[in-house]
Amino acid sequence: MKPCYFLFTLLIFCTACKKDLIRKDGNFRLRFEHTVGTVPLALGATVYQNPSAEAYTVSAFKYYISNIYLVKMDNSILRLPASYHLVDESKPDSKTFLVPAPQGEYRAIGFKLGVDSIRNVSGAQTDALDPALGMFWSWNSGYIMAKMEGASPLSTAPNNILNFHIGGFKGQYNAVQDFRLQTPISINVAPDRAPEVTFSADLNAWFRQPNPVSFATSATIHTPGEAAFKISENYKNMFRITNVTDL
Amino acid sequence: MKKYVVYTCFILGLFWACRKSGDNNGPSGPTPYKIELPAHFPAPVYDLSQNPPTVQGVALGRRLFYDPRLSRDSTISCGFCHQQFAAFAHFDHPLSHGIDNRTGFRSVPSLFNLIWQGDFMWDGGVNHLDIQPLTPITDANEMGEDLSRLIERLNADKKYRSLFEGAFGTPEINSQRLFRALSQFMATMNSFNSKYDSVIAKKAVFTPDEAGGYVVFQTKCASCHKEPLFTDGSFRNNGLPYNPALNDAGRMRITNSTGDYLKFRVPSLRNIIKSPPYMHDGRFYDIFNVFRHYSNGIEQTPTIDPIVKNGLPLSPEEQRQLYLFLTTLTDHSFINSKSLSEILIDN
Repeated sequence: MKPCYFLFTLLIFCTACKKDLIRKDGNFRLRFEHTVGTVPLALGATVYQNPSAEAYTVSAFKYYISNIYLVKMDNSILRLPASYHLVDESKPDSKTFLVPAPQGEYRAIGFKLGVDSIRNVSGAQTDALDPALGMFWSWNSGYIMAKMEGASPLSTAPNNILNFHIGGFKGQYNAVQDFRLQTPISINVAPDRAPEVTFSADLNAWFRQPNPVSFATSATIHTPGEAAFKISENYKNMFRITNVTDL
Repeated sequence: MKKYVVYTCFILGLFWACRKSGDNNGPSGPTPYKIELPAHFPAPVYDLSQNPPTVQGVALGRRLFYDPRLSRDSTISCGFCHQQFAAFAHFDHPLSHGIDNRTGFRSVPSLFNLIWQGDFMWDGGVNHLDIQPLTPITDANEMGEDLSRLIERLNADKKYRSLFEGAFGTPEINSQRLFRALSQFMATMNSFNSKYDSVIAKKAVFTPDEAGGYVVFQTKCASCHKEPLFTDGSFRNNGLPYNPALNDAGRMRITNSTGDYLKFRVPSLRNIIKSPPYMHDGRFYDIFNVFRHYSNGIEQTPTIDPIVKNGLPLSPEEQRQLYLFLTTLTDHSFINSKSLSEILIDN
């Protein structure tokens, strides 16, 4: 065997050493923007009106996005590897993230708002699911799927606070909601492309339909159950796609 | 020929380079810790393969368990309320204590055989051993600390960083590692060496009174306090008179179901004589008060358990024998185990 053949063989062996066995063909970016009605959301003193024309301010708005999937052009579903993202209005970096996906053309995106039941019963989690992030109920194990906090003069709670902590993963009051949104143009994932989908979330959807909320009678939800579930039915209407960049 | 030997070695070397990096802890990695499981117990509920105990992890968990710095003002450790001599219950304390002289609204449960338990707390609100410590650590009436502040504090402690590195490979401390270390220690808190266990293993025999008490137990107690764990893990209303001062709805607080009103976990009877006071609110200081409750103290409420609805009459002789049987459930090797005892943390 001549040395140059040997070197060639050696190179082939070296490629076999690649530790990264899953090929990541490309990425697409998800971007989340928050509004109250048609006005961009700003945490702090800005006063908004809920659909019942009640004034309120917002101090926190966050929710989990998980179980992302893509819909291929033939309408078959491609589930992506498990990933959990906590979208937090107070942390701009959290409102946009890259999702690795196989190369291809896709017509729709789906995800869960919340944390699937498995991760609610699997013990100590980490990263976005770290209970230190304050999105976990310790006394009644389970994730807070989505949370808004603020204040309204109509609230009868101490300091006129609004606390909508929405969770629950069991039975009829499972607050994990599934979303599937058709993209206006298809998304092409490939190594040299950077497609981006922008979702707009309207906080007022939480209080609109099908279960209208008046802050005068409902200002705090801290437990899983019917009341939390009804808000989740409302926020099921929260997202729309406002922009797709397919470059 | 020599050249081929060199090539072969080189190629084998390449294969070695290809080995999966994750499995390779090398001689300096943590040492596996074998949890002893008794033959007469069912398979554990806790999946040890998800958090394989190691000598270093168990030792770290034990240190965390006894470190008062896990509480907001560094006064209360887990071991403060969970005392080994009381089978890790709080001896003589009807309701749990916490920082700032606070008092909780339920009694401190004893701790053992936790890997056979699927849910935790008197109301079963916690669904996994790993996240169980989150409740006492963060509860304002107990250790009152914020989890992210605690993680920050631990990360600032050189000693802890080296202990976490020993247990998990890198010095990073996050809540998952904190909880897993505590779970590894709690997974070693197992009690199955009582006289009862020796009798079951045919290495000892009951005295006539103990044997008489065992019969009483089997007739009147065993359907809820099921052997060998001495609990069936269910939640029941055992007819305790409602205490308006505590106004504790029990499991209903978790399920929102009126059918669970006043229902509480059936506790294990192992080490029961060592862990008074009794019941979810510690209302009975003496086991004979418990006997009298079941015998003629049952309060009728809509969710009363059918088994105790009409009382469980216990004659004085039956009570005496039952008491003697219950003493055979005390596990002295567990209560005196050196590997579980409190350690002094001075740095």
